[in-house]
Amino acid sequence: MNKTVLYTVLLIVAAIAPFLFPAYGTQLATLWLMIIVALTWDLTGGQMGYNSLGNIFFYGTGMYVAAIVTISLVYNVADYTDAAGGGTFKFTWAQYFAGMALGSLAAGLFCAVCAVIIGFITFGLRGPYFAIGTLGVAIAAGELVSNWDWVGGGQGIALPVYPGDLDQGKIVFYFLFAGLGIGIFLFLKWLYGTRFGLAMNAIRDDEDKAEGMGLHTLRYKLTAWAMAAFFVGIAGAISAFQLIHFEPLETAYQTINLGIFMVVCVLLGGKGTLWGPVVGAIVFHVFKEVTWNYFLGWQWVALGALIVITVVYFQEGLMGWLMRMRPEWFGLTVDESGKVEAAE
Amino acid sequence: MMKLRGIGLGFAVTAALVAMPMTASAMECEQITLGSAISLTGKYATNGIHAKNGYEFAIQKIKENGGIKIGDKCYNFNVIYYDDESKGDRGATLAERLISQDKVQYMLGPYSSGLTKAIAPVTEKYKIPMVEAEGASRSLFNKGRKYLFAVLSTSEQYLASAVTLAAEKAKEAGKETSSVKVAVAVENDPFSLDIRAGVLDDAKKYSMNVVIDEKLPRDLSDMSAILTKVKLLKPDLLIVSGHSKGAATAVRQIGEMKIDVPMIAITHCEAADVTGKFGDVANDILCSTQWAETLSYEDPIFGTAANYEKEFKAAFTEYSDKTVPYQTAQASAAVYVFKDAFERAKSLDKEKVRDALASTELMTFYGKIKFAPEGNNIAKPMVLRQIQDGKYNVVAPSEFASHKLNYPRMAK
Repeated sequence: MNKTVLYTVLLIVAAIAPFLFPAYGTQLATLWLMIIVALTWDLTGGQMGYNSLGNIFFYGTGMYVAAIVTISLVYNVADYTDAAGGGTFKFTWAQYFAGMALGSLAAGLFCAVCAVIIGFITFGLRGPYFAIGTLGVAIAAGELVSNWDWVGGGQGIALPVYPGDLDQGKIVFYFLFAGLGIGIFLFLKWLYGTRFGLAMNAIRDDEDKAEGMGLHTLRYKLTAWAMAAFFVGIAGAISAFQLIHFEPLETAYQTINLGIFMVVCVLLGGKGTLWGPVVGAIVFHVFKEVTWNYFLGWQWVALGALIVITVVYFQEGLMGWLMRMRPEWFGLTVDESGKVEAAE
Repeated sequence: MMKLRGIGLGFAVTAALVAMPMTASAMECEQITLGSAISLTGKYATNGIHAKNGYEFAIQKIKENGGIKIGDKCYNFNVIYYDDESKGDRGATLAERLISQDKVQYMLGPYSSGLTKAIAPVTEKYKIPMVEAEGASRSLFNKGRKYLFAVLSTSEQYLASAVTLAAEKAKEAGKETSSVKVAVAVENDPFSLDIRAGVLDDAKKYSMNVVIDEKLPRDLSDMSAILTKVKLLKPDLLIVSGHSKGAATAVRQIGEMKIDVPMIAITHCEAADVTGKFGDVANDILCSTQWAETLSYEDPIFGTAANYEKEFKAAFTEYSDKTVPYQTAQASAAVYVFKDAFERAKSLDKEKVRDALASTELMTFYGKIKFAPEGNNIAKPMVLRQIQDGKYNVVAPSEFASHKLNYPRMAK
């Protein structure tokens, strides 16, 4: 009962937030993006014990797939991205939204296929080797795309601007991200309760034993990563339309920013919990926006301090810490009888 | 520091009593708020700070000269800055924030073509006039934008005269221009890629042979692999473009690896302070520049180009033993263009200001400014300087040249 009330209140807050704070529309949309990448990172990192540093690959690839699909529906991509020439390219309402819908879907599917192919190779690695291996994939992809002139190389691509009213556009992007974020949350909530969720936890706890119990672990790992890739790809596609202009190294395949931030969000909130990534993303994003605005010049120092404090004092994250301090909030009952006996 | 400068100026003005009421009236001026997301950290931080200093200097100078007069009121500029961390997505978000949260109605540009490319769609969709001084790529000016104005020359012009010089030298030696071998190494960003496009076009015009066409590595801190190739293929002209960091790396490694190419042309020499950092190694290198303090441009606020340099060094003492980079001068010119547009628009209405900007025809210490319908400045040429005994001397184009070209370059 209490939970239903809580979820309803949160949904209402999410629905009215962009109308209450219209000037903060873009930041609120970015907050949802952080929640999305944190939730999907935790799917493999927290629930399955495979800490990928390469999920940003799917974000960048999603951006590019969406852009290529959108442009090629109407124009020749090479003309559009020509370094010196180019020119004015107009998109109608229908072309814009058709591009966005098809582009996002294509981005998600393409990234899921990529995850299966890359996963087939990298899932042979474990622990830090998997992390570094996937990071390598993301860095290499950024370098390759930045030298691929057909998609603009280091110049990047500028997608068409939202064709309608600007404030309306902001709200549209907010709800695209929010809808995707809520969808992912509900999907994961369901998934973690199924046999698939238990299998992922088994892989995290002892992969060899899980294999010994008859689980086809590679199949589970590939499926889980493909699901994460599908959602991150779509999020990348929406970001591409929201940002309008993006280039490969600093924006699309931004390994040192968003690629790391998603991990920090999860660590901050609590690995392997459903709410941890959400709470972590909110705390992290608010902290980042505040320090970036009011402590200009010290923002990275403050961020570093936050990470150090998390790693040293809150290793289990905010949700893990709360769960330890207030187990009754999570419906956990603590058997204190043993403690009493020991005292006697 | 600014206060000290103000005191210094006060002494310079002989009639102190005249200066007093001027300062008093400057105090009563209202404010016009401009916004700028600029690179204070990240790979473009050096030039981002040069540009910011240029903005600040111009704002102070305009204030000292009685501010911006609209009707019987006077105004001073005030800028809200954010750090874009040299990242496009951050720049675009910050531009959005400046417009929707800080309610900024007029923008000054960021540093680099890449960042300008990221921010221009935002300012354009909100119909916010932006005068930018640091984004030169041609790809900025073919999108039909109406609210983007750039005081600088576009990037394909940066090193075009170096190619022409190489062709002239070949002809003087009785050789065909098609025998000239060109090596190009550029950063993988919109600005440098446009430089490359311009150089390749010109090289093709003279049927030159492009033997190396490479991109600098992402962090711009090592180009020794490319320079090894240069040693083997012995080009006649080496072109390097990679903002300040690329320029510093190029000059340092050209010295370390004793690269012996008769003509080397790079961008951003002054901004990277290559003469101060590397001394004799930098000699005889050609540097493209948007502006030189030796040029004979002049305006009523900043005086001559030479006077600008002198006063800027007095205000920002960290530049006292360096050449003032053109990035600073053009940033100041951008602020001056805004002042002129506000006064001609006689209004704070952004549409009227935009129309006034579009019809700008202004002589400044930085050169003449007149915008094409696409927003780029078409009234000012680029010049090419050569570092001769640690000094920057203009050697091309010939109508501005104050010194003869040293050729071939003597490797130090």
